[in-house]
Amino acid sequence: MPAVSVEHLSKSYGDTVAVRDVTFDVQKGEVFALLGPNGAGKTTTVEILEGFRERSGGRVQTLGVDPADHSTQRWLRTRIGVILQELAVEPYYSVRQVLARNAGYYPNPRPVDEVIELIGLSEKADDRVKRLSGGQQRRLDVGLGIIGNPELLFLDEPTTGLDPSGRRETWELIRLLASEGTTVLLTTHYMDEVEALADRVAVLFGQEIVASGTPSSIGGRDFGAVTIRFRLPDGVTLASLPVLAKPSDDGRVEIHTEDEVRVLHDLTGWALEGGHALRGLSVLRVSLEDIYLGLTQARAERRGEEPESRR
Amino acid sequence: MSAAETPVKGSFRGASDLPLVARQVRFEQLSFWLNPIGALLTIGFSVVFVVIFLSTSRNSTVSYLPINLGQYYVPAFAAYGVMAACFNVLAISMVNRREMGLLKRLRLSPLPTWMLLAAIFINWMIIALIQVVLLLLVGHFGYSVHGPHDVGMFLLVLVVGMLSFTAIGVGMSTLVPNADAAGPMVSLVFFILVALSGLYFPVKAGSGLATFTGLFPIRHMILAMVYTFNGIPGESVWNDLLVIAVWGAVAVFVSLRRWTWSPKRG
Repeated sequence: MPAVSVEHLSKSYGDTVAVRDVTFDVQKGEVFALLGPNGAGKTTTVEILEGFRERSGGRVQTLGVDPADHSTQRWLRTRIGVILQELAVEPYYSVRQVLARNAGYYPNPRPVDEVIELIGLSEKADDRVKRLSGGQQRRLDVGLGIIGNPELLFLDEPTTGLDPSGRRETWELIRLLASEGTTVLLTTHYMDEVEALADRVAVLFGQEIVASGTPSSIGGRDFGAVTIRFRLPDGVTLASLPVLAKPSDDGRVEIHTEDEVRVLHDLTGWALEGGHALRGLSVLRVSLEDIYLGLTQARAERRGEEPESRR
Repeated sequence: MSAAETPVKGSFRGASDLPLVARQVRFEQLSFWLNPIGALLTIGFSVVFVVIFLSTSRNSTVSYLPINLGQYYVPAFAAYGVMAACFNVLAISMVNRREMGLLKRLRLSPLPTWMLLAAIFINWMIIALIQVVLLLLVGHFGYSVHGPHDVGMFLLVLVVGMLSFTAIGVGMSTLVPNADAAGPMVSLVFFILVALSGLYFPVKAGSGLATFTGLFPIRHMILAMVYTFNGIPGESVWNDLLVIAVWGAVAVFVSLRRWTWSPKRG
């Protein structure tokens, strides 16, 4: 049984559609990412899965129960952890007090000191929340999400507002939780976050899922064209290369091809034969960002909307 | 699904839930007292005013009641203490919690809604009671103010007042669109009505001002506390209690219609 199962989920507010015909599932122990721009319906979808918001249609199961079923919501909430998009911690408690309070809501919480250490606030444990920096408060927010030792953790844009080191620390924490068997469903609009954390990803755009798969294969990424770049050797012109190349923005030359093995063979064979150094040689498969922008632009153009990259 | 994973139904588990309510009340109290300036202003305001008023004019008589101003101000400010805690501060606090996302976070925890709301309400009732007791002690030991004469009715007024003004406070919070508007909106309504309803100077029944403020529950709370504290013959408080309770019921209706756990950011 998957940890999360969503079939044809829809949510509307009057005439406004927030989520349209969304279907996906999240297996136990998996890190699953919902990737999409602001307003795509990510938070609404997650809030429905948490039981915070009721759906308009479709079928949803979280840990085997319908999250909208009030009779099992208390049970469900002892088994899930939630990290909200926006910081929400009382200002006057100390770090230890607020974690201790929330630990008391759960039947099998993690020890408070263990959580304080995990979120890197050991030296601030007895400081008031209002005295913490924004990044430290965000980490405390993460601590509140995991204090109940959840089977399933919902993270709604968990690293928004964090500095680069804070982001890396949060990623490490998520990896640690995943390695312990916690199922993670995260929403994000950061491509690097998806590549760093997710086992699978679904792209949500215009209130519906436009693609899903692993970060390395989504949108045909594993079969698409690659870009080969290198510095033109001294005394060599573009026309004298054995393959068709063009100048790149970074001062190198570049080759786009879907037949990278043959092109690289021709190129390196030519270089070895002529004694040319191919400095700065790189072979890049199309990035997740390129795939994402391609998917969302194609969908927007089909629907007569302005694509995100042109807004 | 194994037996250990079988969902447990229901949000109320009988007596075993009561320690959780008590625990949540303890944390609510802790949060209140961890902000000593806020706590002092909430509790000290009525005490300071009573001391000033009783020190300057406690022996003057109220023209239309057989009591002096000392016997008037102590129960009137006790009523103020209840209304300030259960309406004014509660409403502002609920708006701030909602807009900061604190209500949403707690809603997503396993703490049942009824437990959370009960703890919040009990917390403010405790703070109201602390003010009432402090005022009675200051009046009794500092200024020889005696009461309550009708203890049973005085307690009944306190209970109905606390419950109704808590409901009105919650209802008011649902009408406030954002945190910035909470203080001005709630306090403006409260302090104007408190002043016009006879807190600082007794307002004679039948006057235009009394008729106007009689539409609202604040004047009725002040009068009910003054009458039961002094045991004034011929003055029934049932009508006052009815008005207070009706306002409370209307507020419950408004709250149920307009309540939201998410920030409004209006």
